[in-house]
Amino acid sequence: MNRLAKLAVALAATAALSTGAVLAQDKVLKVWHYEPADSALGIAWQAAMDKYRETYPDTDLQFELKTFDQINQAGTMILNSAEAPDVLEYNKGNGTAGLAASQGLLQALDDVYHARGWDKIIAEEALGLGKYDELGVFGSGPLIGIPNYGEFVSVFYNADMLEARGMAVPTTLEEFTAIMDTFVAEGITPIAEAANDYPAQHLMYMLTLKNADADWIANFEGVKQDLDTAPFLAAGQMLVDWVSKGYISTDATGMNADDMTNQFMAGASPFVVGGTWLSTSYGNIEAFTASQFLFPGQKYAPGSTGNMWVVPVNAKNKEAAYDFIEITLSPDVQNIMGNEGGLPIAANSDTVTNPVGKTTTALFGELVSRGGLGYYPDWPVPGFYNEVLQATQAVIGGTATPEEFAARLKAFYDEGRAMM
Amino acid sequence: MATVTKSYRQNNSAYWLYLFPGLIGFVLVVGIPFLMNIGISFTKWRGIRMPTFIGLENYERLITDGAFWMSLQHTLFFVVAMAVVPTIISLIVASVLFDYVSARFGQQMSSFFRAGYYLPQILPISVAGVLWGWILNPHGVLNLILDATGLGALSSNWLGDQTLAIYSLGFVMVWLQIGYSLVIFMAGLARVDPALYEAAELDGAGAAQRFWYVTIPMLRPEIFVIGLTTTIAALKVFAPVYVMTNGGPDNATLVPSFFSYYHFFSTVRIGYGAAIATAQTAITIVLALIFLWVQARQTEEAAHD
Repeated sequence: MNRLAKLAVALAATAALSTGAVLAQDKVLKVWHYEPADSALGIAWQAAMDKYRETYPDTDLQFELKTFDQINQAGTMILNSAEAPDVLEYNKGNGTAGLAASQGLLQALDDVYHARGWDKIIAEEALGLGKYDELGVFGSGPLIGIPNYGEFVSVFYNADMLEARGMAVPTTLEEFTAIMDTFVAEGITPIAEAANDYPAQHLMYMLTLKNADADWIANFEGVKQDLDTAPFLAAGQMLVDWVSKGYISTDATGMNADDMTNQFMAGASPFVVGGTWLSTSYGNIEAFTASQFLFPGQKYAPGSTGNMWVVPVNAKNKEAAYDFIEITLSPDVQNIMGNEGGLPIAANSDTVTNPVGKTTTALFGELVSRGGLGYYPDWPVPGFYNEVLQATQAVIGGTATPEEFAARLKAFYDEGRAMM
Repeated sequence: MATVTKSYRQNNSAYWLYLFPGLIGFVLVVGIPFLMNIGISFTKWRGIRMPTFIGLENYERLITDGAFWMSLQHTLFFVVAMAVVPTIISLIVASVLFDYVSARFGQQMSSFFRAGYYLPQILPISVAGVLWGWILNPHGVLNLILDATGLGALSSNWLGDQTLAIYSLGFVMVWLQIGYSLVIFMAGLARVDPALYEAAELDGAGAAQRFWYVTIPMLRPEIFVIGLTTTIAALKVFAPVYVMTNGGPDNATLVPSFFSYYHFFSTVRIGYGAAIATAQTAITIVLALIFLWVQARQTEEAAHD
């Protein structure tokens, strides 16, 4: 009996010890994101993590750098597992955040958003991409993601190359094509492009938006009806035309985003149609001055509030996750982002001194004020990203006609819609 | 006599104990996932929540899916690029190194070459893929060299051209695979009795005849092993495609593994992805069995000779 009692005490003590250990381990905050350490976002969020460690010294903040592809392709499985972090950067859009939200994997943040006063930092209107309905379509439903930055696609240009030819920044599409004709005549490919990677689909979608209106965008992104391909068909025809005129080289089909950037940085091509995630590195080019302008002659451009912080339902330390999100929304961190050339969602534009950050912020303001954020082509249905990439690559390479290109997108889109 | 047999049997059954750890590993890592995959292939599943049983629907879709048949054709190409061509090249190179280089320039020189040819096998495939990406991109090293040497007309969009892409990948695979078979062939040659070569030489056989009548027959077991392992590797090839072309341009380098991965992770049609994987596994197993059967017959014939 005595022995048994001792054993019981020993067991109880062990149990107590191990629970104690578990409790201590509970003070862990696992953060994941996929922004390169030298990008504006990476730098700003590093500062946020430092600030968190200072403010909450008892909590062990564990950070892991992931890649866009990792989260894009295995996101739902990670969120559904016990290995899910407490807070992570997640890709906005129906195919990613929408899919996860519709499966109940993401924590609703509506209460936190109001209780913590985030509604004073980010306006309700900017949260459209953080809300998903039960089908996983964005725009309404519980708030599951908090955006931290904005992003949009514009035209980066080599100001030195334009100046040397006495060219001004184009304000209409005709001016833009006239400039490109001049470069083609000199044997220079005007637009550095990568069709073996994501950039080409942004140019393609830019040209699609030329013939799109608010209804088309709402239907397309909201998966409201089978795909109306008219704007895509027009974009495909324009791409074929641009390739034949030499604005884009068919070489693009063998290039990835880094190769494209190398072309631009080497001064081999004066233009890149690219997203603001390139701003910082292009702003740091020393060999020439790089700047950006909005794609001329149209209201819409690919763009949106950026990827978001989400808290998995399986997160072990949600309060700490909210504390962390709050820090990333603080003026300090947001200003760092702006001053590193990024596009903060809540920075005071007067305090942004970095020229790249200032240009980007100003252009973003212009685009937002004319209601010109056209979102992205890959959001509507899961897996569309790859299909759009391959189809765009094919139409640029000349192995698919614009009609085949549009039909291919439609087949995939309609099938994905049927599965929802 | 009876007791001896019995104790022999007892000893024999005791071996099973030692097989257990491996067997458990096999069941956990291969067996269970394999069966689960077959099960999932009969369902429609988004990767979360419960799968819904849909019978053979995925397979019906599979046999009418042009992309799947295209990926199988590409697999045949990869069998040539990973099994046939590297085996032939390394057979010749191994015999040159063994017969000529090592005899003329010494053992060290031949070891140096052997190590050099083996190097691609040591490089992580992702690193090799990125390096080849730099070499083969339209503004890459290869085109620069061609332009600089006045062969600019030959420079191409190696990985981005619809017809060229798969040959570029195939070339990289040959580069990658030679080392593997070369090392095995050289080990095999070391086993061959030098007297055979001496006898052949005395009988007036030239280098080519010695290669054909001595080297190849003596290396038959190695050729079979390499044929089998590299063919299976070709049927499963994934990493180089993933790193270099992502199956593109426009599916020109699509292979079954990548196709299955694409549906598992991109379109999140897990049931369909599983059906592709199951079909691929069936094909691989059938081909491997044919290979083993042919080999068994050949060895039997050799034993009767």
